[in-house]
Formats: sequence, C-alpha cells, structure tokens
Amino acid sequence: MICTGCSCLCEDIEILDSKVLNACEKGYKHISGFREPRTRNRVYGKEVDVDKAIESAIEILKSAKSAVIYGLDTTTLEAQRIAVKIAEKLQSYIDDNSSFCLGEFVEAILKKRIPSATLDEVRDYAYVLIYWGTNPYHSLPRHLSKFSYYPRGAKRNRGYDEDRYLVVIDVRRSEIAKLAKKNAKFIKVENDLELIESFEKALEGKAWKYDVAEIVREMKKADFNALFGGLGLKYGLNGNYKRFFDFVNGMNNFAPLYFIPSGFHANMRGFNETLFEEVGEVNKFSFRERRSDSQFSFSELVKNEKVDTALIVGTDPIASLPFDVSKKLLKVRKIVIDPKDTLTAKNAEVTIASAFSGIESGGEMIRSDGVRIKLEPIEKAEIDDVYILKRILEGL
Amino acid sequence: MPLTPMDIYKLLPKTNCKKCGEQTCMSFAFKLLNREKKLEDCKPLFEEKKYEVQLKKLQEILKPLEKATETGLIVRSELCNGCGNCIVACPVHVERDPQGAGIGKGPRIKDPIYRIENGKLVIVNMHLCRRYGKNRILCVVCRENCPTDAISFLEG
Repeated sequence: MICTGCSCLCEDIEILDSKVLNACEKGYKHISGFREPRTRNRVYGKEVDVDKAIESAIEILKSAKSAVIYGLDTTTLEAQRIAVKIAEKLQSYIDDNSSFCLGEFVEAILKKRIPSATLDEVRDYAYVLIYWGTNPYHSLPRHLSKFSYYPRGAKRNRGYDEDRYLVVIDVRRSEIAKLAKKNAKFIKVENDLELIESFEKALEGKAWKYDVAEIVREMKKADFNALFGGLGLKYGLNGNYKRFFDFVNGMNNFAPLYFIPSGFHANMRGFNETLFEEVGEVNKFSFRERRSDSQFSFSELVKNEKVDTALIVGTDPIASLPFDVSKKLLKVRKIVIDPKDTLTAKNAEVTIASAFSGIESGGEMIRSDGVRIKLEPIEKAEIDDVYILKRILEGL
Repeated sequence: MPLTPMDIYKLLPKTNCKKCGEQTCMSFAFKLLNREKKLEDCKPLFEEKKYEVQLKKLQEILKPLEKATETGLIVRSELCNGCGNCIVACPVHVERDPQGAGIGKGPRIKDPIYRIENGKLVIVNMHLCRRYGKNRILCVVCRENCPTDAISFLEG
C-alpha cells in the first residue's frame, strides 16, 4: 500500500500477519494508531445521518455571504478538483496550508522560475545534497534512506560515503546534522541571506561570513546537485524569495542545482498543482476577484473577519493555528469534513464523517517532487471526501 | 557509555584466585564481556559477604549483555523512529538485495538482518551480519548512521 503519513508517499509498505512492514514510526501511527476517535455526522451538536448532514451543509453554504474552503492537503486530487469547482460556484475564497507552508517554493517550480527534479533522479544522479532549514528526521523520516543520501543509484553506486556529499544547514545541530560526518558538512546558520551571499562570494573565489568554499568546489565536480528547502529556509528568507531564486539560478551557471521543497502534508503539492491547472495560482485564491493575494490566506481572512462560513476538509485549524486566529474562527460557521473527531470538528456547526485517503479510500496524490502516485487503500469506505464533496456540488 | 572490561574488573575481587579457570581477574573481565564466561563462575563473589555490594553493581551493569545478540548488538527501540538508514546503509543488504534495500526500498530478500516492523527496527536474521561467526569483522555502519543512537554495540 501507499503510506499517506507525509509527502514521501512511500510505496513499499506491506502488511503481513497484522504487522506493518517498512513504514517509519510516523507512517505506522498514521496507518494504525491515529484513526481514533472517529467523528460522527452532526448538525449543531445533534447526531444525524449523512444525508441530513450534507443537506445542512448545502443550506449553510447557500446562505453564506462570503465563504472560504480550506484544508484539502490530506485528501486526494479528485476531491481537490471538486472542491475547486465548489469554490468557483460559490465565488468564494480557497486556500490550503501551503499559504504558511512551502507554497511559494511550489509556485516557483510550477511557474518554472527555478529548476526542479524528481526524487528518483536525485537517487540516481545527485552528488551534493543540501538540506536547508529542514529536519527530515521529524518531517519525512525516510527521506534520506529512501531517496537521497543512502540509496545507491544508477550513476551513484558506490555508497553514501564516496558518492554523496551531504550538507546540512540549520539553526541547531539537528538529528540529521549528526549524520554529517565523512564527506559532509554542517553549517550552523544565523542569517540565511548572509549564507546566500557567502555562496555567491565563494563562486567568485572570495571568503565571506560562512565557509562554503568546499561545498562549491564539490558542487562544481558533479553534474547533478540537489537542494531540499524546508520551512526554516522559507522563514529565514524573510520574504526575499527572489533573492533565493536568483541564487539558485546563478548557481546553475556553474553547477547544476535542482530545488525540491521538502516537509509538508501528503498532498499539499497536489492542491497547489490542481489549483494551478484551473486558475494559474497555487493557493490563497479569491474566485470573486479572480486573483491570489496574501490577504486571501485563510488565517488573514479569519483574523480580519472577512468570511462568515468555512468549509474545512481534513485539517484542524482550531488546534493548529495561532490563538488569535482560532478564537475568531469560533465565530465563523464551520462545516467540517473529516474522518477524525478533531477540535475543529467538535466545534463545528456541521460535521460530516469521511474516510482516510489512502487507507480507506483510493485516488491519486502528488509527492513532494511532483510525481503522481495512485493510492492503494486497504479498506473500502462508501463515504469518502469525493462522495461528500460531489453531493455538496450537486446540491449547490 | 559503552561498557569496558575495566569497568567490570574494578568490581571484581582482584585477587587472581584462579577459581574461575582464568589466570587473572582482568582476563575473566574480558571473557565476561565477550560472554564466554558467566558471572557465576567467579565463586568468591557469591560466597564471601564482603563482595555483596560489588556483586549487585556487577549484576546491574551486566544486564544489557543479556539483551544483546550474538554479535553484540543492542537495539533500543524506544529511541528508534524507523527511518531505515541502517537497513539501506548495511553493506550486506546492498550486496544481497541490490534492487530492494540497496536502492532505498524495504528489504525484498526473505531473511534480511534488519526490518522495520510497526515503525520500529527489529532484528530478523543475525547470521547474515558481518559481525557474526568466526571470520567476523567489527562493522559499525548501522550504528554510525543512526540519528538517535538507538543502535549500539557492546564494545561501544
């Protein structure tokens, strides 16, 4: 089966004698342990059947003056496409977690501002691997062993200590920084922009704040290098994305460097690509104004009290977003489609019980590098996100 | 901290009484660590009352030895997060399973050394390990690539 615990979407998971093989701890808990407590179909706290819950949801959406559709990062591409159609019909806002996650990087890749590659290519050809502001030990546990540092690839078959060069850039000595021993380098970074400057100076042969001359030398040796950027990089850049994109493109004049965002929900990139195909933007989009703006991100909309209704699919904003956002979210009418009884589901006007994508319902998802992967569910649920969203769309 | 023969020697009677069959207490400490001898072979330690405190300490520090496999491997599964670095880095896996563990996937051979079960590392077949048997070599690749030090060996 395919594990949907993180955006690695590992395809080699087996279930043998009720044991889950090959999945990391995060994936195992996602597959077996984290499914309780299940949510029930509820309307204003009263338990109802699924038809009644969907009808109430349609009524609320019809009466909404300004609605937002949010979440969708853990569901399938099929469900995301229907959600986009619902947003278009309602002329509402649509957003997912990527507005505060790695949406900007995915957008740059989709708009071809920076070169990117697939993780299979990384395994086969990459020499220098830079992990910048990301700690896959927590976010993508099998990233190093499955795709980047440890596996032997077609052109890199001599193992990690000879055929790979690992660079870890982080503010602290993270778990993967401990692995940077032989043929590797750990840079404790204080200012990401200064580090970019150091790289650029190193290309000119000058020394700057950070010692990166060796990394640049190694990069020039190879015909394929990869940079994995995480949230640490995004927030370290402080909004200066162009500076970073120019740096990646500038680097490519000397040594090929491919950027792959790493560390997010299972199908966050899927949502970005779905919306990009439909409207040409990746997130925080308003169908009324037909444009994307930072003011249209879910937390900004809620904070500025721009919406009165929210359709939330497969995420728990009350628990995960800052207090001033979640406090205001309580005043918004919420329709939650979720298999799990989250804090948001408990506080919602309408809750519709759904199925876990990838475990109980099939479909397609997109891995962090843009590869489409068909899910292989182990159970078959009748009511899943696609069914519920389709009925809501028909009702509207 | 790994256990050394010196740690064991310090707690032994240090009389070189030879009752265990060894010439010195130091050599007994070495064999104890290699699990060629048992603590019970040291007779004075159990018979004489003055060694009571030392005996208790010895039994305590030798406890991990019982958990270790024949190759001296100890896996602390509470620290493991199932990243699988050890499985993919293992030279034996690469040689025997080039299309499975060798390229980062879960092992495809029937009896791999390690496997991830329910998110934790388990030892399946120690006999394949390079540390096993007469012509063993002290390979530590899996330990070196564990980000949480969940894998350790008796010698450190």
